[in-house]
Amino acid sequence: MSVPVSQMLTVAGHVIRQKVAGTKRYPLVLMLEPLFRCNLACAGCGKIQYPAQILRKHLSVEQCLAAVDECGAPIVSIPGGEPLMYPLIDRLVAELVARKKYVYLCTNAILLKEKLNLFTPSKYLSFSVHMDGLKEDHDEAVCRDGVYDQAVDAIRAALARGFRVTTNTTLFDGASPLRMRQFFDEMTDLGVEGMMISPGYSYAKAPDQEHFLRRVRTHQLFSDMLANPKRRWKFNQSPLFLRFLMGKHDYECTPWGNPTFNIFGWQRPCYLLQEGYASSFRELMETTPWENYGKRSGNEKCRDCMVHCGYEATAVDHTFSSARAFAETVAATLTGKL
Amino acid sequence: MTLEGWVPKIGDSLTLAEVVDFAFDYRGNTTIVKTDGTEVVGYVFNRDNRVPEPFIQFFDETGNGPFTMPYSAIATIRFTGRDTAAGNSWRAWLEHKEREKAKTASALGGERGAPDPDPHRG
Repeated sequence: MSVPVSQMLTVAGHVIRQKVAGTKRYPLVLMLEPLFRCNLACAGCGKIQYPAQILRKHLSVEQCLAAVDECGAPIVSIPGGEPLMYPLIDRLVAELVARKKYVYLCTNAILLKEKLNLFTPSKYLSFSVHMDGLKEDHDEAVCRDGVYDQAVDAIRAALARGFRVTTNTTLFDGASPLRMRQFFDEMTDLGVEGMMISPGYSYAKAPDQEHFLRRVRTHQLFSDMLANPKRRWKFNQSPLFLRFLMGKHDYECTPWGNPTFNIFGWQRPCYLLQEGYASSFRELMETTPWENYGKRSGNEKCRDCMVHCGYEATAVDHTFSSARAFAETVAATLTGKL
Repeated sequence: MTLEGWVPKIGDSLTLAEVVDFAFDYRGNTTIVKTDGTEVVGYVFNRDNRVPEPFIQFFDETGNGPFTMPYSAIATIRFTGRDTAAGNSWRAWLEHKEREKAKTASALGGERGAPDPDPHRG
């Protein structure tokens, strides 16, 4: 596993403080979307289908920082849209790093190479490059040829400049376990610090409704893909979450674990569902009917969802819920066995 | 299936709250017709009908906002803007890829001396 020790300690301290305080619901990762504009139009993405005046809008740095401060999560993930198209991205990242937030800047990397000089390498900053598989698979997923090669080129440039680089991969129906293992080899050879993988979610508004994974097939795919994982593969996520994807743990969703803030406000109830907006983080936490979400709620929108933004927070919380779960996490982290 | 162009008639079989929900789910601009007869074009991004005075929130077509308007001020909502979520499907992308492959194969065949059945096609 490959989560920096300082980040592990920061997250552990955050979780333990919440537990000691008796806080039932707490955030782990803030999903900060400064804009919806993107330079790709992937068929699986439900984030960018908006009228032009909405796509032209973006948050101010002050709005972003107010959200970060109010939320208090130790990790800030900046998806979008394409965050490198946000004109204030350098200032935003610098402010977040100064606040000692662990920043994952999620990018398709098309603009990464030319914008690297806007940033300074830091243990708090990681470029999380969107890579949905080997060249052919990735270019097909993003609906444009040549993007994989651009991303690889940018990853090499970022690594050469001393930046932390991870990858994030969304898997859809039809993904090949064998090709994904080859992809893990390829990313490892490239030198990325760690990889993040997750099944996709069927956005109600995504144009592609046919290629999202259902729960049983998700277990099968991840079991096949992660069976006897190579020691050199590094995953930048909780090993218990990966075991959950393999069907070795049965978790419930933690929709408040990765709260989402964008130009519309605080999104209810989670990063994926879009059922309304609250004007403050406190309002989000206090007025969202959380009992209506998650697998056990019976909500059909949640039935097949196993996405990291709902379940990784559960896995992290589970790690600190018992000595046995903590020992399981430590063992998996040290041995790389899943 | 898209609601683009829909002009709902509020009545016994269709309530204003239902139309607002459709507008909230719609990924395009709508025309909000107010009870005083005036209209405003914008993108409805939020609604809350669990509060004592239900309301919508929207950005107008120039991007100004957010504006808040109570349900009580709305007569109906017309789905006048382009539905940005319609079309652009995964299937369309795969079909495009297949066409590209066929075109490449055809071009390679041409290089080997095969006759081109339509030399004027694009």
